[in-house]
Formats: sequence, structure tokens, C-alpha cells
Amino acid sequence: MQKRKFESLSFKIISSIILTSVVIIIGIFLSFETINKKAFYNVELQKAKLIVKTIEPLVAIDIYLGMQNKMESIVKELIKNKDILSVKILKNDKLIYEVKSKNKYKSLFIITYNILQPNSKKKIGTIVLDYSNHNYEQLIYKYTKLLVIMLVILFIISALLSIYIKNILRPLRRIARLLQDFSPEKKLKIKLMKEDNEISLILSALNEMQEKIFDFASKQKDINAYLEKEVDSKTVELRKQLFIDDLTQLPNRKKLFNAIASSENDRALLILNIDDFKEINDFYGQSVGDYILIEFAKELQYFLKDEKNIMLSRLSGDEFALFFQHKPSEKSFMRVINSLTKEIEKMVFEYEQNEIFIRVTIGATLDSNEMLEKADIALKLAKEHKKYFLLYDKKFDVKRQYKENMEWVQKIKSAIKEDRIVPYFQPIFDAITQKPVSYECLIRLIDTDGSVISPYKFLTIAQKSKLYPQLTQIMLEKSCQYFQDRDTTFSVNLSINDILDVDMVTYIQKCIKKHNVSNKIVFEILETEGIDNYVEVSSFILSMKKLGCKISIDDFGSGYSNFEHILKLDIDYIKIDGSLIKNLETDINAQIVVETIVDFAKKLNLITIAEFVHNQAVFEKVKLLDIERVQGFYLGEPNRDI
Amino acid sequence: MIRIFLFSILFVQVLFGYNYNSLLLKADATIFPKIMLMDKKIKNKLIDNKIIYTIVYDQCDYETAIHVKEYIENTFQKYMDRYPYKVDLAEFSHLSLATKASAFYVLKSSTENIKKAANIARQKGIISFSYDINNLKYDLLFSLVIENSTILYLNKEYLHTNNIDFVDSLLSMVRFIGKKSI
Repeated sequence: MQKRKFESLSFKIISSIILTSVVIIIGIFLSFETINKKAFYNVELQKAKLIVKTIEPLVAIDIYLGMQNKMESIVKELIKNKDILSVKILKNDKLIYEVKSKNKYKSLFIITYNILQPNSKKKIGTIVLDYSNHNYEQLIYKYTKLLVIMLVILFIISALLSIYIKNILRPLRRIARLLQDFSPEKKLKIKLMKEDNEISLILSALNEMQEKIFDFASKQKDINAYLEKEVDSKTVELRKQLFIDDLTQLPNRKKLFNAIASSENDRALLILNIDDFKEINDFYGQSVGDYILIEFAKELQYFLKDEKNIMLSRLSGDEFALFFQHKPSEKSFMRVINSLTKEIEKMVFEYEQNEIFIRVTIGATLDSNEMLEKADIALKLAKEHKKYFLLYDKKFDVKRQYKENMEWVQKIKSAIKEDRIVPYFQPIFDAITQKPVSYECLIRLIDTDGSVISPYKFLTIAQKSKLYPQLTQIMLEKSCQYFQDRDTTFSVNLSINDILDVDMVTYIQKCIKKHNVSNKIVFEILETEGIDNYVEVSSFILSMKKLGCKISIDDFGSGYSNFEHILKLDIDYIKIDGSLIKNLETDINAQIVVETIVDFAKKLNLITIAEFVHNQAVFEKVKLLDIERVQGFYLGEPNRDI
Repeated sequence: MIRIFLFSILFVQVLFGYNYNSLLLKADATIFPKIMLMDKKIKNKLIDNKIIYTIVYDQCDYETAIHVKEYIENTFQKYMDRYPYKVDLAEFSHLSLATKASAFYVLKSSTENIKKAANIARQKGIISFSYDINNLKYDLLFSLVIENSTILYLNKEYLHTNNIDFVDSLLSMVRFIGKKSI
């Protein structure tokens, strides 16, 4: 910010006065110079004219009467006037008399005046009077002198006034200097003036203001001190909150990170997760869930009360961590884990006459690098493999798996965005006529290089990353659109999650209505999934059947096939699992199972379809077993178009 | 030249009448009419729209009167200023109120005649000029003396005549004279 130039008030006042005075003086000087010079000139002119007018009658008589001696005396008398340089008398334009003055003045003007005959207007001669500038110059000089004196006086007055004003305003400067040292905590001694004027008013006001500021500053100081205290207290509280879990009052995740980061020793970490804690929360309510967590934390603290090396913390939700600040031996590490596990098994949480037991899964690592990630991987793997404990091993290589998974997620997202999820259609043939009677819509991902990627590479990831519903919708939309004007049936795979998803069901209904394919579409549902969620599946089948759709049970016979469910569900097709078909020509047991299924299906008027028919021999066998429809690479591979 | 010659002849007449100074007569003839014209009320004295300048003389001064008349006529060609004029001669014995005159020029004569002429002039309200300054004591108005310079004399006792009003400049250059100082 530019520093403002100091502009003295007294200087401004003084310079204004001086300037105004000078302007006035110059104005007066110039105007009067012009006016007065003219006036003085006129005065002299009038004087000269008066002189001439006065002598003219006398001269006129003299000329008229011819008595020129009189005229001479008159003129000679006249020339004695210092203002007159010369007088000429002309009679009929002829000079009859002239007299010149001896003074050395310059001529100001010459007057020519007619001499008239007395008592007549007849011109008988002329007087020519040469008038000097002597008087005029003197007048001008006197006037100028007067003005100069006035100017000098005015300047003196202005100077004195300036000094006076400066003196008057001096106290203001003094006040300004004094105020530079002002501080709210220190009172200034402002001396009051003897005179009672505006400056003394300012001084009084300043004193009052100072008193008020001082009081205010004192109060502010107290308030600031109080606020500082409060802030400190709040800071401590926030710091505490930052590193302490609200619910259990254990160190939180952030605290654990800091502890791990700040530790330079070899360390160990285990993470324990309460199994099915979500179900406990859902069943008993969140307050019970919180209660269990609090009590569990207390139990753990009690268990670890003598373990100075172990820092207990709550990571999130239902996960707790035990951080070994110094790496124990594997033996003592396992001892702790085993003791802990046993202790947890004994724990009973009583809540309103309910006794709640919990189980935990533990993932641990003795590797000091990337401890959290490794313990977490160990935990996930333990859960996957339904073990209560797993110690991280380098062989897990889960990290690479994670990386791959993330890459696939990205691929799937890109494919969805760039419309590279497409249905491929595999024909289902009539076993006898060997003509395609239907098509199964199979999902494919077209890579950026144009290669076609099979679903086994990305479907699992899609399910885990919750992209699966989008894939279902894309498949449904594209398949319905493709077949809306084609006179053939087509089947679309649905997962149990699709069926359980109300929005998805609504979407399915809208889609098939939109494309008017209700009578063409067949929904293939996995048998194994159907068993677990019989009610939902049944409801779905009912609603779809009402629209005219058909239902197929897929992979029938792969698991513990529940014929009773099949009886109750109003299905139309049974697709015999590929595992039974692929070795049909040689596997006797498979043949027996397939025969049973076919027989069962026929009794229910259900059409059977054999999958994975990959060669002639299998095909022949399939025909032999009277399976009505056939699907497999032997007869037709999935293609972009039918 | 003619004038000089005529005035020279005048000296012959001196033998038979009063003595006159030709220079003075000349001056009177030149100046007195001009003075008459300086009367602001000259218009009141016009007779038939002209000035009648009457020379009053004794019988013995007839020649002098003639010469004066001729001189005047030579000096003022037909007009005195813008007024036409006539120079009349009138003997003292024939002088009366009926005498037509705008002004009298009175030559020398007896006291009685001079008084008569002054009286008539005064009654008529006209200017009376006198050759002889001494005659001013007999109530004539103007006379002229040539000394070192020409001096006009004015009888101050009869200045304020009703019908006469001279220009101020004239009054500033004349010498005022009273009866007692003549």
C-alpha cells in the first residue's frame, strides 16, 4: 500500500491565504492599473481641455479684435504650467503664435481646439496644446507605489498570520506525536490546554477516549485470557477426540497409525473382527451392538492390563487391533492369541435377559512393514477360509490379487461407460431337429484392443465391487432390444441378488414391457441360489409368469438339488448342469443322475436342456437320454449375432 | 494705401474740425463693430434685419465721419459677421430717438451733444462707442485707447443696460472705468 504523503493542515491554510491574497492583489493591481491609468489619463486630458477652454475665449477675442498682445501674455502665462509643453495659435490654419516650454518632459497628448469668433460659431483659429506626461507619470508612480506598499503589507500580514496559525495548530502536532506512543495498556499523559477552544475539546475527548479504551482493553484482556483457556481446553479435548474412540474410549485408528509410524522397533499386529456383528446389530438393535462393543473393549483392556507391550485400539465398527510395540517371539505371540481366543469364547454379554456370545476372527502379522495391510489381508483370508486365525505369509500374494481386482474394477467401469458390455448369443438347439429354438444371452466385455473377455474373468469382481447390477441391466436392455423384432425366445441369466433387488425387478418389468418381449424371454436362475431364498424367488417367478415370461433353473443337479422346490416353483425349463453333461458318455453316475432329472422333468412337463455339449459322443448320449434341447460348443458357440 | 491716403487727407480736415488720431479712428472702425457683435442681444438691435452702425458727428466732422464709414465698409464687406449692415451718419443736431441705429459711434463734440447722444443710446438700449475716452464720463459705454497696447474701456456704471449683454470673455479683457476715474 502506497504511503500517503503528509500534507500539513497549517501549510494548506497558510498557502491558501497567501495565494488568495496574491490573487486579489494582482487582480486589484491589474484591474486598477488598467482603470486608473485610463482615469489618470482622462483626468489630465480634462485638465488640458479645461485649460484650452479657459483660454480660448480670451484668445478668440484677441484674434477677433486683432489684439494679439493680450493673447501673447495669456499664452506666456499658460506656458508657465509645467504640464504644458507648447502652445500654438493658428489663425485660418496659419501659425500666428507659438511658445514652447523649457522643461524636458515627454508629450502625453496634443489637444487641438477650435477658436470660435465670440458670440458666434464661426471658427477663426485653432489652439494646439501639447500636454506633458509629467503629472500623469507622477500619478501612476504614486499609485503603483501605493499598491506595492499594500502588497508588502499584505505579505507581512500573511506571514504573521501564517506564524499565528502555525502556533494555533501546533498543539495538534503535539497530540499526534503523543498518540504515536499510544497503547491500550498504557495511559498517556495528555496535558489539557489553558484556553478553551476546539483543540482543548479534542484533548478532553482524547482523555475520555483513552479512559474508555483502557477499560475496554482490560476487559478484553480478561476475556482473551478466558478464551485462551477455553481454547486450550477444547484443543486438549479435540486432540483427545482425534485419537480416542468415542464409544469405547480406546485409542482409535489414527492413534494406531501414529504408534506404528513412530515405532522403530520390530513390531507385530493383530486385528480381530467380531463375526456376524452386523447380524447382532440388526437383530438386537444398535444400542445393544454398542453395549457389546463397549463391554468387549473393557474385557480386552482387562485381559491386556499387564501387557505393557501391547496397545489396544479400536479400528472401526467391529474391528480391534492389538499392536505389539516390540515384536514378540512367535511362540509368545501365539500364546497371546490362543489365550485371547479362549477368553473371548468365555465372554458372555448380558443385555435385558439376553445372553449374547461372540466369535472373532483374527488376522495377524509379525512383519513390521505394511502391518495394517498384511494383518487385514490375513483377516480377510481367515474369514474366507472360515478360520479363526491366520498369520500373514508372504505366499498369500494377496496384494497382487488386490491390485488385479482393482484393475478389473477399472476395466469394468470403463467398459460400462464406453458401452463395451455386449451380449453374445449361444444357440440352444432342438435335439432332434438340431435347429436353434432359443438363444442364451451371455455377457462379454470387449477390451479396448477389441478382444473379447469372458465373464469368468470379471463377473466375480463385478459382484464384489457392486457393479453387477449395472451389468445385469445392460445385458437385459441389449438382449431385449436385440430380440424384440426377432421371432425366437431368448434367455437371460439373473442372480439371486438381482431377484432380491426391488429396483432391479422393477427395471426388468419395465424393460420387457418396453421391448414387448414378455412372451419371448426366459429368465435363468441358479438352482443353488434359489434354495436359500425360496420365498423371494417364488414371488419373482410368480410375477414374471404373470407377464408371460418363462423361467429356467440353471445348473440343475450341481449341488444338493431340491426336487421339492422345483415342484413348488412354476418353472418351465431345467438346464442340467454342465458338470453332469460334459462326461456323460463315460460317467455312469452322471448318466444315472441325468436320467433321473429327465424323468422328473418329463413328469412335470418341463423341458430339459443339456449344457456343455462339446462333442459328438456327448451329443449322441444326450439324445439317447431324451433330453429335448442341447447347448454347447459342439453345436454352436456364443456369437455377437445370431 | 488708399486708406493711408484718405487718412492723410484727414489731417487737412483737422485744420477745420476736431483733431482725430487716424490710428485710433482706424482701430475704432475695426474694433467697435466687432464689439457690437459681441452683444448677445444684437438681434434685438437689428433694424429691418440689418445692423445700422450710426456715426454721430458734428457738422464739422463730416469728412471724418465719411472716412470712418468708408473704412468700416472696406473692412466689413457687406456683412458684419452674418448680419447685413449699413453705416449711417447722423449729426448731433438731428439725433433723436427716431434715429435708426443698432449702435452709435460718437465722434468728438460738445458735452451737451455727447450727453444727448449717450441719453438717446441708453434709451434705445444700444451700445454707444466713443472716440474720446473722456466722453465716457458723459455716460457713453465704450472707448478705446492705444497705449503700449490697445486697451478697451468700458463704462461700468452703464454696463447693466437692459438690452445689452456682452459675452463674458469681452468683459474679462476690458478695463472698467467709472465717472470719477476718468
